[in-house]
Amino acid sequence: MKRSFMLIFLMVLIVAATGFAATPKDTLVIGANTGIFITMDPAVAYEVFPNKIVAALYAQLVKLEAIDGVIVPVPDIAESWEISEDGLTYTFNIRKGVKFSNGDPLTAEDVFFSLKRPVVLESVSAWFLVDIFGINKDNVDEKIKMIDDYTVSITLNAPYAENITLGILSNMFTGIVNKDVVLDHEVDGDLGGAWLTDHSAGAGPYVLVQWERNNVILLEANPNYYGEQPPLKRIMVRDIPEASNQRLLLERGDIDVAWDLTPQLLEEAKRNPDIVEVKVPGHSNEYLAMNATWGPLANPKVREAVRFSINYEEIVEDIMLNNALLVQGFINKGYFGYVEENPFYQDIEKAKALLAEAGYPDGFEVELLTSNTDTRKAEAEKIQADLALAGIKANIVIMQSSQMYAKYRAQGHQMIIAGWGNDYPDPDNLAMAHASYRANQLAWRNAWYDDYAATLCEWGQIEPNPDKREQIYKDLTEYWFHNGPFAMLYQTVEFWGIRKEVKNFEEAAFGYGMLFDFAKVSK
Amino acid sequence: MNFGQFLLRRLFLMIIVLFGVACIVFFIANVIPADPVGAILGGNAPPEAVDRLKAKLGYDQPLIIRFGNFITGAVRGDFGVSLKTSNPVMEDIKNYFPATMELALVAITISIILGITLGILSAVHRNKAIDQFSRIFSILGVSMPVFWIGLLLLLVFYFKLGWLPGSGRLGFFTYPPPRVTGMYLIDSIIAGQWDTFKEALLHILLPAFVLGYNATASIARITRASMLDVLRQDFIRTAKSKGLRKNVVIYRHALRNSLIPTVTIIGLVFGSLLEGAVLTETVFSWPGLGRYITTGMLFLDYPAVMGGTLYIALIYSIANLIVDILYALLDPRMRM
Repeated sequence: MKRSFMLIFLMVLIVAATGFAATPKDTLVIGANTGIFITMDPAVAYEVFPNKIVAALYAQLVKLEAIDGVIVPVPDIAESWEISEDGLTYTFNIRKGVKFSNGDPLTAEDVFFSLKRPVVLESVSAWFLVDIFGINKDNVDEKIKMIDDYTVSITLNAPYAENITLGILSNMFTGIVNKDVVLDHEVDGDLGGAWLTDHSAGAGPYVLVQWERNNVILLEANPNYYGEQPPLKRIMVRDIPEASNQRLLLERGDIDVAWDLTPQLLEEAKRNPDIVEVKVPGHSNEYLAMNATWGPLANPKVREAVRFSINYEEIVEDIMLNNALLVQGFINKGYFGYVEENPFYQDIEKAKALLAEAGYPDGFEVELLTSNTDTRKAEAEKIQADLALAGIKANIVIMQSSQMYAKYRAQGHQMIIAGWGNDYPDPDNLAMAHASYRANQLAWRNAWYDDYAATLCEWGQIEPNPDKREQIYKDLTEYWFHNGPFAMLYQTVEFWGIRKEVKNFEEAAFGYGMLFDFAKVSK
Repeated sequence: MNFGQFLLRRLFLMIIVLFGVACIVFFIANVIPADPVGAILGGNAPPEAVDRLKAKLGYDQPLIIRFGNFITGAVRGDFGVSLKTSNPVMEDIKNYFPATMELALVAITISIILGITLGILSAVHRNKAIDQFSRIFSILGVSMPVFWIGLLLLLVFYFKLGWLPGSGRLGFFTYPPPRVTGMYLIDSIIAGQWDTFKEALLHILLPAFVLGYNATASIARITRASMLDVLRQDFIRTAKSKGLRKNVVIYRHALRNSLIPTVTIIGLVFGSLLEGAVLTETVFSWPGLGRYITTGMLFLDYPAVMGGTLYIALIYSIANLIVDILYALLDPRMRM
């Protein structure tokens, strides 16, 4: 018995002498919780991180790129496109000479097949096509057409602004699969779905070589990629479910990127000179919303008083530990139409004066609803304290998220702290949610039945001229700031801890949530 | 009762236990108000798509028919198809279970060696330093959560000292040995890949120790108590008084007789090792059945959760059966 004990002890000593190597120069090793990975099929994958891995495997008609800090759709294998007079039909000219990873040429037939595939499969991730473009299983053959070997057209149900249409088409469900390879692996009419779950048949910069669930995902550079070869030959994602373990591996140099650190862990890891933090704007926001038909809040001056009572900086610094951006408009930083102005700050005298003008010199009592996360609770307490300075007594009510949303959707709240995540990088989605009661989203929930704002939202959706469009959203934001039912608290940020040897990670990550370009990262 | 009858009776009991477990997992999975079809298709899915998937997965059938299908499938080792991985659950289990089994086997080996050693030493040197150490070690072992002790040891042995690797079954750039049993330690020996064997051993030490810590503590305490009990018996006094050497008295006379409670506890803790694997596998990024079941739960992948749970119950029952058989061999009175 003692001998076995000694043996184990000896083994430990042997390792002490061997040590561990750093990651290879041509490989990026990412530590992440991959429990959310379900499938690598571009027509089906929907979760944020899995989608970005899938994006590295497939080329699309158009893809997203951050240009001068704004996320815009750019040509991928669609070299150019024409929009019909009525703004309904988009005709895409496909780049010639593009090959799939196995060397097969990519033609309009593959594009046509790939665009129809999510519709025929009724994939949830293609809800944009059904709910927004009105393309479904029954009309898909009229709406999506193959014109010739290198031309494909798509017909929409309304003349959406180009940025909206292309923004939606840059979602992953339009990833182009190799029709022949996929059909070779078809089982029971699944259009190759089962096989594509853990194989790739695309024309993107990388190829999926291995996916062992809960263990490792390995991508290798696609030798037949039509663009420039990516600087890193391999991307390896190791399943490290524990964030604290990710931090240890990162600091020891066993991984290059820790994907799911908490703000606290990132703060600690940053003290190591080999570790760098990367932060980019996210695609969600956090807001305080007011029911515009409830008691004192029906008066726009009261809502303005609330906006001047809150100390926004302290929320970003103390509660979010600076992992948030002070953005007070509804259009996110990094989007077309983003308004840089933040008109609100804490000014208690001004707030009191506004309340007095509105006929509430002694303030009033209001219910402040939110859900039971630590962040939301802290925000509610902070806002409660700020409002108290102006004489408004807020009573905090904490609910389970599902209960809270049920009450919110039924317009049953007075004040609420909640957030909104965006689906495509265009102000349309955000304007409709926050400013048009006709869209039945946030503006409606807060009973802000403002026809001027709703009409501006609808103009913005179909205005073809980008300059005019930008002006519409600027005007809308300006109006919404002072009349709307919101006090926008902040925009979320995405963050990672990386080794200092990793280069261009921030460029690759800018826009994360919507995009992540692995082909830009180098070491 | 002869040994054959005893064995038959135990096998029959085992089947009843497994049937009970099957009932419990099936009904828990099917009566809780969560909708796996909704989870797969999402809230925007059209009702026809929901109905079609329900029919495909058999969720449109009455509960009792589904239960019948589940049981008849389970008897044939067919737990259906995982909603998340789209593989037959049994195939996934075959894939993931060896990692868990390997971890549990190394953990129980470490626990037995360490636990019995500590138990004997603290009984023989009662109330001396080693006994006090063993007591503190055991109290910590049963009271500290696996999660916490795992991170703590990683911090010391991986992060600060760099003696042991920090995650997974092998280095990130090492290929696993050709698959025979799926257990890397055994497969690497079969393939004669000694470097891989060494690497696998180093990777398993920390998680196995952490997983087995609780078991080590229990074994140490039980061995100590039963050893003290035996040391007080008349035949030990006789052995001592007839002038046998101390070591002979302790190891030949006392130890053998004090092992029965230890064997019982080993059988019981083996079950807790399979359970504890769920947490240990998360902390140490160990791609085993525990992690398969947890990720399945988050996705409402009921076939995977039910199949995985039932499989662990089966292994637990087999471990207990083996213990009972050992027991019967060690002490014929138990066959009654």
